[in-house]
Amino acid sequence: MSPKIALHDPVFHAYFWIVLISLAVGGATLGFLRVVLKKDTALMFRTYWSWLAIAGLGLVFVFAGRITTIAGVTLLAIYAFKEFSRASGLYRDWWMTGAVYVGIVTVGIASLVSNPRGEEPGNGWYGLFVAMPALEIALILLIPILRNRTRGELQRISLAIVGFVCIGWMFGHLGFLANAINAYGFVCYIIFATALCDVAAFTFGKIFGRHPLRSEISPNKTWEGALGAFGVAMILPWLLRFSFPFFGAWQLILTGLIVGIGGQLGDLSISVIKRDIGTKDMAATIPGHGGILDRIDSLIYAAPLFMLMVEYYYPLR
Amino acid sequence: MNKWRYRSLRDLERTPLDRLREFPREPDMLVCGLRSIVALIIRGLLRIYNRFEIVGHENLRTNRSLVIIANHCSHLDTLCLLAALPLRKLHRAFPTAASDYFFQSVARLWIAAVIVNALPFGRQMRIRQSLSLCQQLLASPGTILIIFPEGTRSITGELRAFKSGIGALVAGRDVAVVPCLIDGSFRAWPKGKRLPRPRKVRLIVDAPRNYRERGRDKKDICAIAAELREAVNELRQRDGRN
Repeated sequence: MSPKIALHDPVFHAYFWIVLISLAVGGATLGFLRVVLKKDTALMFRTYWSWLAIAGLGLVFVFAGRITTIAGVTLLAIYAFKEFSRASGLYRDWWMTGAVYVGIVTVGIASLVSNPRGEEPGNGWYGLFVAMPALEIALILLIPILRNRTRGELQRISLAIVGFVCIGWMFGHLGFLANAINAYGFVCYIIFATALCDVAAFTFGKIFGRHPLRSEISPNKTWEGALGAFGVAMILPWLLRFSFPFFGAWQLILTGLIVGIGGQLGDLSISVIKRDIGTKDMAATIPGHGGILDRIDSLIYAAPLFMLMVEYYYPLR
Repeated sequence: MNKWRYRSLRDLERTPLDRLREFPREPDMLVCGLRSIVALIIRGLLRIYNRFEIVGHENLRTNRSLVIIANHCSHLDTLCLLAALPLRKLHRAFPTAASDYFFQSVARLWIAAVIVNALPFGRQMRIRQSLSLCQQLLASPGTILIIFPEGTRSITGELRAFKSGIGALVAGRDVAVVPCLIDGSFRAWPKGKRLPRPRKVRLIVDAPRNYRERGRDKKDICAIAAELREAVNELRQRDGRN
């Protein structure tokens, strides 16, 4: 991945236009709702403007190459973890927060450098990358010992581990995907598909929503919305088959399942955390979306599962 | 088994921009780290570029709350006073900054909140609230307030009259007031110039005073303000003779 390659890469070109057209279609739909049907769409427009900014930034980071993609994912993870720790109160503990920051940056570095012994093909040090949870948990467990303290430490240890594994490491797989031979296809597809599924779940839920999906966890999500998003996720791999032309039917189905089910499970998992803490959004960073974490939560399941699936069937790098 | 309790930060529902505007700020690890690094860089630059020098450094060595007052003719003044403090006290030091100037545009707001850790002070409106906020901060030990009692940067380099608010803040309270003189900052970076020039800047710190025994009526307050101005003026004359 580099700007020079991106300029001539048909997959990146295609995604550039797909994103542009999707945003135009979305804007036109909202405009139709507002002007013709006279609906109150102020809140939806606020969300839409933020989508424009997210799409623009995302395209720029992916266009600029492998290093910026990994750096961008790492920054997003750092910021999302910051929101998580601010909401859960872990942020008051600078040692724990600092340890997780160190872990997230190390995940970024492991995605960036190559194996120093040269035993792996291409960029990215997969051995270190998959070993990061063990190393990071060891670091986190060390902190209470160094401080010689026990009171309330289990809560902080647990919050730090959940924060690191979910946000730093599982979401961090998105950065490692940038090392793939077919990086543009994988990275663009997984981001675009999870984003589209989120919108689909919202839209189907808004139109047909009757039966609450998990009433205790997220009162606004419905079975109708979830099934609609699942349907979109299952069709999308076939429509966007050019992103991974070497995928067979089985891999396309798995991709659909990972995005369709995993995306929504990630969403619900973060909702569980939010409900227990007692906050509606993790932060107010993106107008109309909530925090960064509320935006990237569907990738927490989808990114690692997708990468493991690809790694299982094909050489990733 | 202890029940888990999540103590969320207070400003969770604020946008990042509103969080900068808010005061007192929730301590933020990344912000404090950045502030410390920038402070070190500024210290180095001042030493090299402006041959910055501090006289009477020992007068700032205390763990109690302090009010530092100084003459004001340049943005360098705040940076010089911050550079005179130990790094570990940096995050408890609040230079008062005019909320109508520093807390309006995003760039200034960011610098004021992140780099300088400024306290938004209402010059025209809400002077009383700003003063009572200062008093609350001073109540906790180790707070350092940096105040320019002239209220604005002097455009001639001369010492202007002190506002009486400084008297109201310290009269009848057990808080140390340290008068300081910043010499050369007017030549180095006067109001209206884009960038500082490499002129020598010196900071002279006087012995702390205390106005615990003074009354709080208008006469006393104005008298304290005048006395403090005289103290700063004297530093200049004493410095001129040396």
